[in-house]
Amino acid sequence: MEVKFQAWDTAGKPIRCKAAMARKAGEPLVMEEVEVAPPKAWEVRIKILCTSLCHSDVTFWKTPAGPASFFPRIFGHEAAGVVESVGENVEEVKGGDLVLPIFQRNCGECRDCKSEKGNACSKFPVQFYEGMPRDGTSRFTDMNGEIVHHFFGVSSFAEYTVVDISQVVKMSLEIPIDKACLLSCGVTTGVGAACKFAQVEEGSVVAIFGLGAVGLAVAEGARLCKASRIIGVDLNPEKFEIGKKFGITDFVNPTSCGEKSVSQVIQEMTDGGADYCFECIGLASIMADAFNSSRQGGGKTVVLGVEMHGSPLSINAYEILRGRTVMGCLFGGLKPKSDISSFAKMYLDHELNLDGFITHEVSFKDINQAFDLLLQGKSLRCIIWMDNISNGK
Amino acid sequence: MNAEKVEFSRTAGKPIRCRGGGGGGAAAVAREAGEPLVIEEVIVAPPKSREVRIKIICTSLCFSDITFWRLKVPPACFPRILGHEAVGVVESVAEDVHELAPGDTVLPIFLPDCAECMDCQSNKSNLCSKFPFHVASMMPRDGTSRFTDLKGETLFHFIYTSSFSEYTVVDVASVTKIDPAIPPNRACLLSCGVSTGVGAALRTANVESGSTVAIFGLGAIGLAVAEGARIAGAKRIIGVDINPDKREIGKKFGLTDFVDSRSCGNKSISQVITDMTDGGADYCFECVGLASLVHEAYACCRKGWGKTVVVGVDKPGSQLTFNSYEVLHMGKTLVGSLYGGLKPKTDVPMLIKKYLDKELELDKFVTHEVNFEEINRAFELLLQGKSLRCVIWMDK
Repeated sequence: MEVKFQAWDTAGKPIRCKAAMARKAGEPLVMEEVEVAPPKAWEVRIKILCTSLCHSDVTFWKTPAGPASFFPRIFGHEAAGVVESVGENVEEVKGGDLVLPIFQRNCGECRDCKSEKGNACSKFPVQFYEGMPRDGTSRFTDMNGEIVHHFFGVSSFAEYTVVDISQVVKMSLEIPIDKACLLSCGVTTGVGAACKFAQVEEGSVVAIFGLGAVGLAVAEGARLCKASRIIGVDLNPEKFEIGKKFGITDFVNPTSCGEKSVSQVIQEMTDGGADYCFECIGLASIMADAFNSSRQGGGKTVVLGVEMHGSPLSINAYEILRGRTVMGCLFGGLKPKSDISSFAKMYLDHELNLDGFITHEVSFKDINQAFDLLLQGKSLRCIIWMDNISNGK
Repeated sequence: MNAEKVEFSRTAGKPIRCRGGGGGGAAAVAREAGEPLVIEEVIVAPPKSREVRIKIICTSLCFSDITFWRLKVPPACFPRILGHEAVGVVESVAEDVHELAPGDTVLPIFLPDCAECMDCQSNKSNLCSKFPFHVASMMPRDGTSRFTDLKGETLFHFIYTSSFSEYTVVDVASVTKIDPAIPPNRACLLSCGVSTGVGAALRTANVESGSTVAIFGLGAIGLAVAEGARIAGAKRIIGVDINPDKREIGKKFGLTDFVDSRSCGNKSISQVITDMTDGGADYCFECVGLASLVHEAYACCRKGWGKTVVVGVDKPGSQLTFNSYEVLHMGKTLVGSLYGGLKPKTDVPMLIKKYLDKELELDKFVTHEVNFEEINRAFELLLQGKSLRCVIWMDK
C-alpha cells in the first residue's frame, strides 16, 4: 500500500495533530489537538495508520487513582504506522518504513534480551510507562501547554506518536496494515503464549478462561500446536459459536455449572484436569480456577490477564506440590524484534488466521464506539482507522 | 550389606507378632499427637492380594513424620505406625505377586508407582492416578489395616508405608526392588528425603550447569537439593537457614554461600539474595514447608526465567499468595513436586547406580544412628535441629 505524506517537511519540528484524549478515568475520550515533539535520540516519530482497542487500555483507562493512574493520557498500544522521522542513533528504521509500536521493550543489548530464555528487557527502569523509557519525560503537550502522559510507551490513539526504538518493530510491507496492527499486542500474546511460552504439545488438552481476542488467540495457537481438545470458558454463550472458528472444541459457561465449581466440571470432563490452562481475563479468582482445573503431575497454568483490581492470586500449597506449574508472561513470552516477523509470515502463508479477530471498524473520530463495543462484549477487535487512511491493500 | 540369608518360610501366610527385647523391635506406635512413641508388640497380618510383607532392616526419620505426628486434626489419626523412609527384605508375598520374592531387598516408597496407568506411563508425571497420593491411613486397595495391637485395636498405616515396625505390609505399587550392594543405612535415605531433594534439582527444576541456586532450609531435603545442584554443575549454591551451624555443615554439601536468615537486619531474605545475585537466582527451592518462605523464594528468583520450586510440605490447607501483577510481569515459574518428580521404580535404581559409581554422595547425610528402642531420641535430635538423618536400626 502507498501512504503519501509530507514526511520531510515535518522532520525536526513539533507536529500538531489530533489525539483521543483521556482526561478523566472512565470518561469518553475527547478529540483534541496536541503537539507532538520531534523524536530525541533513540526515538522514532510514527504516523499511526490504524490502531485497535485492547482490554488493557480499558483497565488503565478505568483506574482513577494509584501508581498506575495518570491523566490526561493518550491510550492505545495496538497499532500499525509509518515512520515519519527518527532521532539520532536510529539506524534500524527510516522515514517511510511500516512499523509496529510495541509495549514490550526489546533493546537487544541487555543480559535478558541476549538470553534465549524469557522476554524481559532490563535496560530501562521498570515503570508504568507514562513517559518515554530513557528519560521518563513526555513528547505530548495539549493546547494549554500541559503535559499529556504516554501509555506503555506507545500511545497510539493519536495521529502521531513518539516511541523508543526498543519498542519499534519493522514490518514486511506485504501484510495488510489492519492485520499487522493485531500482531502488536493481543493476537501475538495469545498465539505466542500457546506455541512459544507454554509450548502446547500435540494431543494436549487445553482450557482457556475468557474468550476475548487474547483467549481466542490462545485457541488459535493451541490449534496450530495440534491440541486434541480446546475447552473455552466464558460467561457469554455466544462465544461458543464464535470460538468454534478458532478451534474451540468444548464450551463451559460458569453460570451453567449448577452446584459444581468450574474447576470441578473441567476436572471431570478431562479425567483429572487439563494439561494447560490459560487465564485471559485479569481476575485473580479466575486465575485460581484455572490453576485448580489443571492436571496434577504436569499441569501448567499460564496467566495472561492483567488483574483489574490488584487482587492477589491464592493457591493451595498441596495442590502445587502435586507437580503443577504456574507461570505468567507478557506478549506471549516473545521477543518483539525477533518473533513478530514469523507470525506475519504465518499469516501470509495462510497458516495463522487473523481475519476472524476483526469484528468491527470505525474511524478515529468514533473511537468511543470501540470502547462501547468492547465493554458490551460485542467485539473482539475493532480497528480504528486514522483519517484519510483506507484499507487499500 | 552382609549376605545374611533370612529364612522366612516359617512365617509366611501367618500373622506375625513382632516381639520386643533382644535388641530387636516390635512397632513404635504413635498413640497421641506429639507424645513419645510407645514400643509395643503388634500383630502384622499376612499380605493380601497384591501386597508384600517386609522385614524392615533400618528406617530413618523425616520431618514429614513429625508433621503428622504432632498434628491434632485430620489427616493425622491415632494410634498410628509412622515412618516412611526405610529399607527392608521381603518376608512373604501374596499369591498374585510375581514381580517380588522373599529375600528381595526393597524400599517401601510413599509415592505409589503402579507402572500401568496413563500417568505412570507418561514421562511428564510421577503422580500415579491409580493410587492418587494423599496422607493415607489404610492400605490402598481394600482400605483396611494390617496392624492390630494386642488389645485387638486397629492401628493406622501412614502413607502406605509404616516403617517404624519390625514388619510392615505394603502394596506392590509402593515397593521398589533395589540392588543389595548398597549399604542399608544409605539405601533407606533414597526412599524419601535424599531422592526428593536430588530429584527436585535434577528432574523438577532441571538445574543447568553454571546456574545460581538458592535453597531455603538446610535440613536433609535442602542439602539433598544442594547435592543435586552440585551434580548438575551449578556455579553458585546459596543456602539459607536460621541455624548458623548450617554454614559449616553446608560446605560439605557444596554450598558456596550461606545466608543466616536471622541476621539480615532491615532487609528481607529475598532482598539479600537478590542483591548478592545481581537480580535473583536462576532457581530457588523452598525446603521447609512454610508459605512465607515460598513467598520469599519466589521474590528472589530472577525475573525473566527464574524458577521457584516448592519442595517442603506445609500443614494441610496452607495457601500460597502471590501478587498477580508480579505473576504476569516477572516471567517467573512456580512449580512444586512430590518425591522430586521422580518415579520410584525407574528412578531409584538410577540413583543407586549413581551412588555405587560414586557420583552421588550419601554418607554425609547420616549424622546419627540409634537402635529401635531409642527411636524417640531420633525425634528429639531432629526437633532440636541437631541431626540431618538419624538411622534407626531394627536389629543390631
